[in-house]
Amino acid sequence: MTPLDWLIVVLRVMVPILAILMFLPLPMWAERRGAGLIQDRPGPNRVGFFGVRMFGLGQPIADAVKFFFKEDVTPDEADPFLHTLAPWIVMFSALSTVAVIPYGPTIEIAGRSIPLIGADLPVGALYIFAIAGLSVYGIVLAGWASNNKFSLMGGLRSAAQVISYELAMTTAAAGVFLTAGSLRLTDVVAAQQTSLLRWNVLPQFFGFIVFTVSAFAETNRVPFDLAEADAELVAGYHTEYSSFKFAAFFMAEYTAMFVASAFIATMYFGGWSLPFYHPVGLVGGIVSGAVLGVKTLVFLAIFIWVRWTLPRFRYDQLMTLGWKVMLPLALANLLWAALLALGGVL
Amino acid sequence: MSAPRLIFDIAGAAAVVFAAILVVHRNPIKGLLAAVVSLFAIAGEFVLLSSPFLAAIQVIVYAGAILVLFLFVLMLLNLDREAGPEEGHRMQKLLGFVAIVLFAGMMLAAVRSSGALAGSSGEPAPTGEVVPLAAALFSQAALPFEAVSILLLAALVGAFVLARRDSAPRPPEERP
Repeated sequence: MTPLDWLIVVLRVMVPILAILMFLPLPMWAERRGAGLIQDRPGPNRVGFFGVRMFGLGQPIADAVKFFFKEDVTPDEADPFLHTLAPWIVMFSALSTVAVIPYGPTIEIAGRSIPLIGADLPVGALYIFAIAGLSVYGIVLAGWASNNKFSLMGGLRSAAQVISYELAMTTAAAGVFLTAGSLRLTDVVAAQQTSLLRWNVLPQFFGFIVFTVSAFAETNRVPFDLAEADAELVAGYHTEYSSFKFAAFFMAEYTAMFVASAFIATMYFGGWSLPFYHPVGLVGGIVSGAVLGVKTLVFLAIFIWVRWTLPRFRYDQLMTLGWKVMLPLALANLLWAALLALGGVL
Repeated sequence: MSAPRLIFDIAGAAAVVFAAILVVHRNPIKGLLAAVVSLFAIAGEFVLLSSPFLAAIQVIVYAGAILVLFLFVLMLLNLDREAGPEEGHRMQKLLGFVAIVLFAGMMLAAVRSSGALAGSSGEPAPTGEVVPLAAALFSQAALPFEAVSILLLAALVGAFVLARRDSAPRPPEERP
């Protein structure tokens, strides 16, 4: 491989990661402004750039600077190694799942064909489930290493919750893989490329519902944020975290939301593709990346909208919903998808 | 030595080292984390052996589910120090020595007979695709596959019965 080939590989991997890190302040700002909108108050609208308010867009940057200068506290009886490691496990698992989400077709630039995806694994979807499932270690270890009852409760709840909803999520996703005939995410997009009716959200609507609800549970977002549950557990697993370690948890939550949104868009809404549009060359690559970006932002908005609309579930309600509603619904969807595939409809 | 082979060897060494840490570490939680790293390294070996499906399943099932449950239980027990018998059985050291010798003999035999398999046999690597695996699972191996699923169902029912036995007489409002 020539140095240019290496550069292309590095760019293919880094572009989606840098895009997420660059846009990360956007949902943080939108979350607080959205909360203001829904609760009929302004929200943070002062911090701007060079005296221009810009609707408070400078707030996330001000927050980040504040986190940098806060004292980094590790409790006396805590386990210092695991206490420091935990937030970075969560951050690692959130960021490294981006690698297998396709953000464009294979484009031709100067005689080279470049697939716009970090790594086109034959088991791309399973890779996401595997790595995303590891984030629970970060949360559980944060709870245990803090040596605090509230933190431990939050960590334990998270472990049970993630395992329960992972089952429904993978079963719902199996319906998509069945009709696409592959676990490769580029094939999943290709199967939805030709027409709007092929977008999996239409033939597998209940699969989409189960998948999205499970994605909320996997990312520990309201109404499933029992690991955090500030009304009963102070701040759950990150009660004993401050300064940049807390910021790492905070950033990881939004990164996980980004990836979950892009994953939903890829699985059920055609990913980077638009029907009747065939991207060619560099411009086509940028346009298809932007299409995936817009679809992702729509789901980020839904994440925020739900957070400020629904109350938190009780723990038994959470488990009942997961095992008695979501799992049977996902199994029914799988049967339906099998019938569709057998009948040659998809 | 090619780069994949080098990574393969490093991952193999990491798997063994972290498995050893699992055995000797005094803190059960950290021992369990060493097991996670070891399983991860083995998943890396599967990837380099052109079996990404097996690698993903390894991480999802073992690292992502089973060891999380172990961690869950360890945290509920909250073991601070090593729990166990203070002094071993008189025969323990002797039996342990015999076990080590037998195991070392087995490992040596395995290593000596596997020389042809160590990436130099010239046979094409298995593709590791999902479709051939699924086809084999539902045709050649259909009977064992169904037998295992019945076994799992029996275990599930058994676990359910055992878990319900103590809590059955409780009044309904006490249930969580």
